[in-house]
Amino acid sequence: MSENIKTVKNATCTFCGCVCDDMILTVDMDEKRIIKAKNACVLGRAWFSQHTIEDAPAAMIDGQPVSVDEAIEEAAQTLMNARFPITYGLSDTTCEAQRQAVAITDFIKGTIDTTTSVCHGPSGLAFQGIGESTMTLGEVKNRADLVIYWGGNPAESHPRHFTKFTVTAKGMFTPNGKKDRTVVLFDVRRTASTPVADIFVQLKPGKDFEVLWALRALVKGRTIDASIEEETGVSLETLKDLVERMKNCRYGVFFFGMGLTMTRGRHFNSGALLALTTDLNEFTHFVAKPARGHGNVTGADNVLSWQTGYPFGVNFSRGFPRFNPGEFTTVDTLSRGEADAALIIASDPASNFPKAAIDHLRSIPVITLDPKETLTTKLAHVAFRTATYGINTGGTVYRMDDVPISLRPAFESPFPSDEEILTSLKARVHELVLAGKNQQSALKTSTSLNA
Amino acid sequence: MSLELTLHTSPQVPVEAENISPDKFAGLTIAEIETLSVMHGNEQLTLADFFKVEGQTGAEIHLQGDLSRLKYIGSGMSSGHIHIHGNTGQHLGAAMSGGEILVDGDAGDWVAPDMSGGRIQIKGNAGHMVGSAYRGSPVGILGGEIIIHGDVRNEAGHGMRNGMIVVGGNSGDFTGVDMLAGSIIVLGKLGIRSGAGMKRGSIVTLQAAAMLPTFSYACTYQPTYLRIYMQYLKDSGLAIDEAHISGNYERWSGDAIELNRGEILLYKD
Ligand code: SF4
Repeated sequence: MSENIKTVKNATCTFCGCVCDDMILTVDMDEKRIIKAKNACVLGRAWFSQHTIEDAPAAMIDGQPVSVDEAIEEAAQTLMNARFPITYGLSDTTCEAQRQAVAITDFIKGTIDTTTSVCHGPSGLAFQGIGESTMTLGEVKNRADLVIYWGGNPAESHPRHFTKFTVTAKGMFTPNGKKDRTVVLFDVRRTASTPVADIFVQLKPGKDFEVLWALRALVKGRTIDASIEEETGVSLETLKDLVERMKNCRYGVFFFGMGLTMTRGRHFNSGALLALTTDLNEFTHFVAKPARGHGNVTGADNVLSWQTGYPFGVNFSRGFPRFNPGEFTTVDTLSRGEADAALIIASDPASNFPKAAIDHLRSIPVITLDPKETLTTKLAHVAFRTATYGINTGGTVYRMDDVPISLRPAFESPFPSDEEILTSLKARVHELVLAGKNQQSALKTSTSLNA
Repeated sequence: MSLELTLHTSPQVPVEAENISPDKFAGLTIAEIETLSVMHGNEQLTLADFFKVEGQTGAEIHLQGDLSRLKYIGSGMSSGHIHIHGNTGQHLGAAMSGGEILVDGDAGDWVAPDMSGGRIQIKGNAGHMVGSAYRGSPVGILGGEIIIHGDVRNEAGHGMRNGMIVVGGNSGDFTGVDMLAGSIIVLGKLGIRSGAGMKRGSIVTLQAAAMLPTFSYACTYQPTYLRIYMQYLKDSGLAIDEAHISGNYERWSGDAIELNRGEILLYKD
């Protein structure tokens, strides 16, 4: 350990959607390494401690090191020459970088989509169809006396969710923490989160919609047949008891995870849960929130929504934004072999997309921005290595409850940030767009002169 | 006589071809039809860049070639005929109000969104969202007839307000979800969670189907109107037996979460 030690207070962990902003980092400035991350959970500690600066070229074309400027030129030309370019990823970068990505996609008349389409995209669809009764996590901490998790395992995916906000946290109207709350967990199997729950409801896999639908019917005073137990694994008594608890609580909250949104039924599952939340507001105050995974995936939804009007799966090929999941979402445009160039930012689709999509990705020019080498950067035509957000760059990220939080970087990286690269790329693309327009109008004048 | 459009260059990326429609072709010469625009991804090209156009204008339109990348064919048409001799892409017959489209092959997702009249017949399969509402809209098709001889995928008839959707094969999940009125007839197997959130309307199937907990058995009877429908479908070339026309149907009412005025009819032999 060197002598050159710095402490960064109130730093932000961007590893999961909790976006904890109470980190105290001890940084070895010579070795460019974080040696201690106070207040972080296991995941956060690993995120900070594993971060080192690798010795690698900042930009590569077809695997050969080039200058950043050359790479930007090549990337801009590639995108401008494409007829159906797609932009994808964006959940692990700052809102400032996301904004630039939207502008680039607008200029190149492409399609922009985020990792939301493969995690909580169905919730996005359901919000549009049904609406969202929402809150901030601070409100939950201070008020919620009934906390219900559906299809998620926060103990392992969002380790500080229970302690900071929902279970043991002591709030204004919940001074005794866990004693003042009832915690319910719906899942298809026992997980590390199960012991935290006062009531654990184990349902048969793929029966979330049926259980939610039965709960809605009971809240509305309809009768449900006792055969529901055989179908879903949850008895009618349990359902009735839960409905009474939901109707009679002071402030109830649902957190739902990918166990709900990515199983059969998808947006109808999230939709059913949001509709149940709406139904319950006839009786008491009830809210619902997706428990978002990646650090700034919530920011990606927000930036896309405020800039294009839609949260993901947005197409600009006719010059104005259009939203149609299934048509413009990345897995679909790749699997159907439609995209002819891809700009991939802080995401690794080559490691987790269906085979048909990856095969197509291999056949088109791909531009990547990533702090590390991934399967996707390996197949990239142009690969930029960028600084890690939150550790090496400042900026803004959104917590899962849509609260924006500023980043405090620990030390500098030799690599440019996503925002810097994307800003330069945007400027170059814009120049090319203007040049193209001038050429067209020149052509028009010459033909009209000839006529 | 007919107007023949033959694909000579396969598009590299999706093409939006809402100009391929009898309404848009009306009163144009072949040369003018050739210059109608299509969107090849983000670049504007003309029909002649992809199609050879020949034959008689003002007649039935025949399309040849693999059109699975072509979207919006027959969009907004109000009369006339389109015959697609092969597969076609998404948004076929979007917002059409009259006329007829016949597809020999398969169709992509979103067949006839916002349809209000006319007829679409597809000999092969169709994708998701047949005759369904666009995202963000609570109301699907307002009228018209969609007959698909093969299978369809999820959300057929989502939010439909009126009209008829017939599926010769199997349907996917959430058939007739949130439907407001109209009829959906599935001769094969009905997907799960059919009729979820339906207010009114009929979903008919000839095979056993899983019911949501919010649907309740009402009675077994022989619906008179169904005889007329089934006879009509038989005449349209679908596999309907005499027993399906005059047989018994179990009536299930739902969705109890909504008005409980919809019905799912299950054929009982
Ligand atoms: S809970 Fe999430 S944001 Fe908080 S320290 Fe752990 S990984 Fe980081």
